Amino acid sequence: MMETARTPIIEAANLHKTYGSHPAVDGVSFHVLPGEVFGILGPNGAGKTTTIEILEGMRRPDSGTAFINGVNVVDDPRGVKSVIGIQLQSSAFFDKLSLAEILSVFASFFHRRVQPADILAQVEMEERVRARYKDLSGGQKQRFSIAAALVNDPPILFLDEPTTGLDPQSRRHMWELVQKFQSLGKTILLTTHYMEEAEELCDRVAIMDHGQIVALDNPGSLVDNLLDRGFTKSHVERQANLEDVFLDLTGRQLRDG
Amino acid sequence: MSLSSNPTLVLTVASMKMWFRDRQALFWNLFLPLLLMVIFGLFNFGSFGQIDLGVVDHAANRESRALVALLEASEGFNITPGDSEDSEIQAVGAGKRDLVLIIPANFTVEGDPVPLKVLYNQGRPRESDVGQAVLSRILDEMTFQFGDASRLFVFHAEPVDSRRLRYIDFLTPGIIALAIMQMGLFSVAFAFVQLKRQGILRRMFATPVSPASFLVSYSATRLVVSIMQTLILIGVAVLLFDVQVVGSILSLLAVTLLGAAVFITLGFAVSGWARTEEVAAPLANVVSLPMMFLSGIFFPREVMPEFLQSVTDYLPLTYLADAMRSISVDGAALWSQWYNLAGLAAWLVVSFALAVWLFRWE
Repeated sequence: MMETARTPIIEAANLHKTYGSHPAVDGVSFHVLPGEVFGILGPNGAGKTTTIEILEGMRRPDSGTAFINGVNVVDDPRGVKSVIGIQLQSSAFFDKLSLAEILSVFASFFHRRVQPADILAQVEMEERVRARYKDLSGGQKQRFSIAAALVNDPPILFLDEPTTGLDPQSRRHMWELVQKFQSLGKTILLTTHYMEEAEELCDRVAIMDHGQIVALDNPGSLVDNLLDRGFTKSHVERQANLEDVFLDLTGRQLRDG
Repeated sequence: MSLSSNPTLVLTVASMKMWFRDRQALFWNLFLPLLLMVIFGLFNFGSFGQIDLGVVDHAANRESRALVALLEASEGFNITPGDSEDSEIQAVGAGKRDLVLIIPANFTVEGDPVPLKVLYNQGRPRESDVGQAVLSRILDEMTFQFGDASRLFVFHAEPVDSRRLRYIDFLTPGIIALAIMQMGLFSVAFAFVQLKRQGILRRMFATPVSPASFLVSYSATRLVVSIMQTLILIGVAVLLFDVQVVGSILSLLAVTLLGAAVFITLGFAVSGWARTEEVAAPLANVVSLPMMFLSGIFFPREVMPEFLQSVTDYLPLTYLADAMRSISVDGAALWSQWYNLAGLAAWLVVSFALAVWLFRWE
């Protein structure tokens, strides 16, 4: 496979993080190759967010090492933060500033100047330069927080549950954005609760539970592996599901502009 | 690295915009001190309706004591016994007395009329006029008491050249000091806790920006605002109430900067500890309310019990208000306020250490 020819852009080795007596991350190792969309799946409390925050340099692991684009996360968290774009699971922005002003402020954190309209255009929100964050719809807020992660033109994007709470139209729109960023050569690490999202977007996924990775492969192989073990569904999926009906009735057009 | 991409500078400009777009902050920091000044100044709450009379009794005999007793019985006077004419003249000059009555050593009800000397405060024509009228009525009363129809007492009124120290002159520097405290403490505490609670601070932590950039830019904004606040308050006081600022405005601004720095860092300390506005607000009030009443903002600290005075000597707002008042009212030079400035500097060191120690991104 051609993957072996490339050096990983994200490398995590034996990460541990314990809160009190509860091991949130318990020996996590994986790597992500340049240009990959890598998904971390798992139920609530599985350790996804803690893992991603260690890699972002926002939390110090108790032990283990991680390198992002060659930068040691533990030794140089700020160095890591300057080469990545981070979308937090829940984030807010200054409510007295316009979107354009917020983006300029965030760009300055990287000692950069940006054209806010260009950044907003990347998430198809260029007409909202003067808007306030609090006036945005849920989908727009999510896209804006991705825009804020783009101000330093990062080669790597960390998206923590980018589509949670979005309507089907907005979710599909977010998928298109992720695919667009991948086509531009960015590496994307995302977490999600939605399996169809992982199947649609991710080249490889790691499934986490109780702070450990319990499976890591491309979605197709994981499914094949399950079927090989003789798994059958109690009822056979039909060619369409309720979401297809919903989208057929309401269209794929975004509702929030 | 150009200036327009310097995080501290860009964030300073941005936080300035945010401050001015916040109507509530504008109200609390500019209009409230103005309102206090107008209310207390216009209704002249500080004068308490009494005329401050100093009495120097050189005679100390039965008749003179009878006179003082009559004066004390009249409700219009707030009487302070004085040691000497000179010290009372100084007290008038400092605006602490409206009138001083000098009872000569040969004061008696028998024989020739004895001239009494009355010194009055030129700067308070209303008080000294009323005071002289009351005084002459009381003296007449005494004349009748002793049953002598011929005028027993005459008094010579002498003006004392005093500064026109009115309550509003005393109040204005205090209100400015109060405004500096409220601005530093509350505007920082609220903004900072809000950023923390909403997760904005955490989002900033997801970038390489340093806490110092953030702290410096938020403080710089508030320093600039407090300078403007001081200028506006002085401007209104001078234009509306004809307040005299004797000392240099530049000295006042220098003291403003130091005082604002103290209360801004104290604000960071408060909000470093508090996680929500619900905690930060009462905490900031716990810090500010006692000082508001103990630091001699609305009335001189001399009216407080002595043990309380010695404690309140060390409050940051006391240092600030005292320095402001000495410069504005007495025309003191900045360097002469080294004691108050040193007190503020000490508080700055303490609150800075607290703020750094308590700082959290989330």
